Amino acid sequence: MRGEASAGLVPLGAASAEIASDGRLTILGAGPRPARRSRALARALFGTPLDAAITILVAGLLLWAAVPLVRWLLLDATFRGTTREDCTGTGACWVFVRARFGQFMYGFYPGDQRWRVDLAGLGLVASALLLFATPPFPRKRIVVALAVLCLPPLGVWLLYGGFGLRVVETRDWGGLMLTVFLSVYAALIAVPLGIVLALGRASRLPIIRLICTIVIEFWRGVPIIAVIFLASLLLPLILPNGAGIDRLARAVVGLGLCIAAYMAEAVRGGLQALPPGQREAAAALGLGYWRTTGLVVLPQALRVSLPALTNEFIALVKNTSLVLIVSIFDLLGIAQAALADPAWVGKTWEAYAFAGSIYWIACFGLSRWSRRIEARTALPGR
Amino acid sequence: MSTRLILAGAFTLAAGAAGAQNLAPSPTLDAIKARGHLECGVHLGLPGFSFANDKGEWSGIDVDYCRSLAAALLGDATKVKFTPTSVQQRWPVLQSAQVDVLARNTTITFTRNATLGVNFQGINFYEGQTFLVRKGSAAAPKDLDGASVCVAAGSTEEKNASDWFKERNLKVSIINFQKNDDAIQAYDSGRCDAYTAGIGALAGQRIKLKDPANNIVMTETISNDPQGPTTRWGDERFQLVVRWVLNAQIAAELLGVTSKNVDQMKTSPNAEVRRLLGTEGGFGAMMGIPNDWAYQIVKQVGNYGESYERTVGMDSPLKLARGKNELWTKGGALFTPPFQ
Repeated sequence: MRGEASAGLVPLGAASAEIASDGRLTILGAGPRPARRSRALARALFGTPLDAAITILVAGLLLWAAVPLVRWLLLDATFRGTTREDCTGTGACWVFVRARFGQFMYGFYPGDQRWRVDLAGLGLVASALLLFATPPFPRKRIVVALAVLCLPPLGVWLLYGGFGLRVVETRDWGGLMLTVFLSVYAALIAVPLGIVLALGRASRLPIIRLICTIVIEFWRGVPIIAVIFLASLLLPLILPNGAGIDRLARAVVGLGLCIAAYMAEAVRGGLQALPPGQREAAAALGLGYWRTTGLVVLPQALRVSLPALTNEFIALVKNTSLVLIVSIFDLLGIAQAALADPAWVGKTWEAYAFAGSIYWIACFGLSRWSRRIEARTALPGR
Repeated sequence: MSTRLILAGAFTLAAGAAGAQNLAPSPTLDAIKARGHLECGVHLGLPGFSFANDKGEWSGIDVDYCRSLAAALLGDATKVKFTPTSVQQRWPVLQSAQVDVLARNTTITFTRNATLGVNFQGINFYEGQTFLVRKGSAAAPKDLDGASVCVAAGSTEEKNASDWFKERNLKVSIINFQKNDDAIQAYDSGRCDAYTAGIGALAGQRIKLKDPANNIVMTETISNDPQGPTTRWGDERFQLVVRWVLNAQIAAELLGVTSKNVDQMKTSPNAEVRRLLGTEGGFGAMMGIPNDWAYQIVKQVGNYGESYERTVGMDSPLKLARGKNELWTKGGALFTPPFQ
């Protein structure tokens, strides 16, 4: 109950306000003033001789590492040209990445069909914005539910084709597009399944609790790489017509099941954080199990477990690179495949630096975004 | 004894006659025809052997084999889809019928043949360990007496090389490095006279050197790692086709049939050429595939020599000499039984 009194108030004492000529009020630096902040920083860094020594040492190390890195990445790097011979500098050869950029993004997706990938990507961004970034509007629930139900099959249709579109087999998919596809569709399996499993594990019915616990513990205990390997290689050996199921689909399902178990545990944390009074109050109001769960328990539990869920999602994005062992060329895989090109031999550093930075940007972006959602949905006073 | 011989002879005749009319069932061939393309397992990316360029077009000597098989079966060398396979995947994808045939840099060995449920249908590339040296310094491994060789410590290559030199009483100093990359860099900077690995790997390493033109890959090898198209057990008729498609590539070179002269060669005075190209003999029908199967291979893909030069040989960046991969009539080890 701490801080409940100041719930709606921003501590304005430390902030300064400025009224611009058009009359708008801008709050500057909600928090300590810049001058005070820098003074505090200086005190923290150089307060004692020991602090100062550590600061200088660390700064020296950073400089020692960063200067050659920046020189290699940017200053001495070659950006223009078309072939390996254009890279005469001592720095990175970004010409390589430029020449192979289409492949890094789309894999071997046919050039004249790549608009479909772009469109699917746009759709993904738009639906994410609709889901998380728009203020509540009338019937938002229904619109969101429709979007969640209809868009994923639509996305598969757009990417794979059929029904009027040219079929692009999944073996031609690759690069960033495949990484995003794997992440999104594995998450689409993992999030609902994870919630169901978590609720099942918290259920009062022993059979359901047992089944869910076994499922969660099984998938949590198996390494993802083993699951992908089994899904890709063992399944076709066991099933009579196993080879008929698409390789990528098998990988997505395998990945989704593993992540679902992790997500279930994250949601369970949220369920346990819920004070028992909430359920009791819902029961007192005469709500049954489903309405209690849907209206009272889940909204609060999901809010609490959002950071953990984001964490799992970020881990998932990076785990998609494990599909490399079954020769599905995701972003990392396509980078490695490009390295084999005799026209671009020895550009190992560039390929990995580029792929790594895309992963980093994606994961950092996700993490910042989730912080914003957390801040927006946070309970006042918490 | 004589009764047995007669019986055996009669049986052979009967089997031959029966074979001409009704062929042994081949689920793999039926499946390939039904789906309209061949599924071929290849290496993830090894220039010269199987490699997809930035447009996703595959090339390489193994890829050429797959195209030849597609040309023979379906009359169209482009009707093949490639499944890149990692080291871990290569056997399971073949065993579980995700690919029809595996044409991937993989050494043929007894234990693999005997225990993995796979059959090797011939050799399309004699891989083997050899040396990368500076031009003019040494021509064959035995010339390396007194030289120094850079290797990665603890690798198979290190053991092979030191055993080989010891056995022949050659004084070669082996300089160990932690990683292959370090060893090749040390070679490039002149710390040693040679670097050792498999032919295919060396050919790829050579073009990464500062001055590739000044370095050569020896053609004589100190180990024996043959590679070739691989099928799973069962379906003898498909195995037959896989084996003879490779033989046809080799025979075409032997008989002087190239993609340029193949049309004239159809009426060659040489009966074996005519049988190969399907002008007579009906060899395709005996396997249950079109009679012009070998004609299509040579016309669309070329004979073995053409394929070799285009992918790993002198017309390619790798610039590998034929070496052991030359016809047996010209001092190599590449062999085909006759088309009779």
